[in-house]
Amino acid sequence: MEFDKPNNELYKDQTNEGMSGGAIDKHPADQEIPKHSWFAKVFQNILISLIGVITLFVLIVFFTWLIPAIQEIPTGERTRITNSVEMKNDPEYKKQIAQITKDIQRLTGKYNSYTTGQSYLVINTTDNLFYLYKNKKLIREGHCSSGSYKMLKTEEGRSWIFKTPKGKFWIQGKITNPTWRRPDWAFVEEGLPIPSQDDPSRYEYGVLGDYAMALGDGYLIHGTLYKRFLGMPVTHGCVRLNDEDLEAIFHSLTIGSSVYIY
Amino acid sequence: MATDTDKKKQPGIAILIVEILILAFLVYYTIMAMLAPVIKRDALETEFGFIQDDKKENNRDFTTDSAYLSLLKQKSYLESRVKMANTDSIYLTISLPDSTVNLEISGVSVHTAPIKHYELSRIIKKGNEYVISSFLSRPFTIQKDYSSIPKEPLMIKMAPKDTSEYQPDIIPDTADFEPVNYIMEMDNGIRLFIYQDENKLNPGDHFHRITFDFRYRLAAFIETLRSVLVFKVPDYHPYIKIRLPRSDAKIIYRAMPKNGQVALFR
Repeated sequence: MEFDKPNNELYKDQTNEGMSGGAIDKHPADQEIPKHSWFAKVFQNILISLIGVITLFVLIVFFTWLIPAIQEIPTGERTRITNSVEMKNDPEYKKQIAQITKDIQRLTGKYNSYTTGQSYLVINTTDNLFYLYKNKKLIREGHCSSGSYKMLKTEEGRSWIFKTPKGKFWIQGKITNPTWRRPDWAFVEEGLPIPSQDDPSRYEYGVLGDYAMALGDGYLIHGTLYKRFLGMPVTHGCVRLNDEDLEAIFHSLTIGSSVYIY
Repeated sequence: MATDTDKKKQPGIAILIVEILILAFLVYYTIMAMLAPVIKRDALETEFGFIQDDKKENNRDFTTDSAYLSLLKQKSYLESRVKMANTDSIYLTISLPDSTVNLEISGVSVHTAPIKHYELSRIIKKGNEYVISSFLSRPFTIQKDYSSIPKEPLMIKMAPKDTSEYQPDIIPDTADFEPVNYIMEMDNGIRLFIYQDENKLNPGDHFHRITFDFRYRLAAFIETLRSVLVFKVPDYHPYIKIRLPRSDAKIIYRAMPKNGQVALFR
């Protein structure tokens, strides 16, 4: 049957009988590809690649943008607000409102009591700024220096991170004309041998300014000889201030005053 | 034996089957993704929904009163703040009515930043008021964060072997050009997105924000895909997206502890 013939057979029959009258014809695959056909193939490949890229892009947009957007389509019923006058006159309602109002007043009072009327200091270590408050009002602000975030490492495996701690602290001690007792890292940092604990070389005078306030764990608020570095993160963890600010803060804060560092 | 016509048809059929499978998967994925917020809403309603207590004089009808709901929101926010203030840790409060973000320590506000723009997930914005107020009455704790800036900008310096190797520190470069974008994943499933916002953003900043956002979206897609492939409805994460001035965004990120807490007032 004609239907059972393969396609190329059919083709051969048609060409032999109808078109070339018995001459030997080349099979289409054996024919030389015309130039325009080569361009068509290149164009076809570019088109397929383009479709692939567009499909990939559409899929990415679908999964990363469209699906999250679809998830935000409202699904549940919204709160039905009636504001019924009848309910507002209900003694139960009034009692509930009074109770919540009372709770809010209590919580607000409690929350406000956290902010002391006494002086306290706030230090912003990201921008190296300080804010001094008294009676809940800002009375002084200026530049300071805080931890450099430098990590000092030795070949023996010892390391120190010079950062200012964050959180709530309080003034644990106030010192006039403080002396700096150099810790081990101060020697290591300069390539000096570490002396014994009470070696005289550990003590330096006049480098911390006229005043110092202890925050605990060896951290101090003190003055500096390097005033050009104020406003920069250059310290080993202490907070440095200029002489005038240090004096004002020293006289405003008492032992127990809060220091908030963030 | 297959004829040439059949051979030509086979790839066509294969492509069609692949296309149908992809389409079916997309439909399945979409359905599963759409189910996620519904399941989250139901879970919140079960956990934080109104419970009629015969002993107490509460009434479900009160939750349809705007004055009652407004007071409830205030109370929830204050409760969260008081809980957080009882710790010595730094925490964040977001007040959408005031358009401010506050860093607080033990009840003292130490830094306030203006919110330039915000966007809330529909479940938080338009969900059941009573349920959402109860949900937000507990502070949320950061579990993980993704950021374009380091939390602690550590610089490693090797100690000199002797004084001849010692070199004093150079003045740090305080120029501030790095884009600040970060995402905080909370323990209650909320995602807090904080993006820098300036009046004039560099084209590079725009590009950075898009790529940063895209990376996170891709990660979220992979997470969803993993669930979907094992026939599990993926987790839905309500979001809070906030735009802040770059310097404030940086201060907040650097100040917040790794497991810091956040409260929202809307």
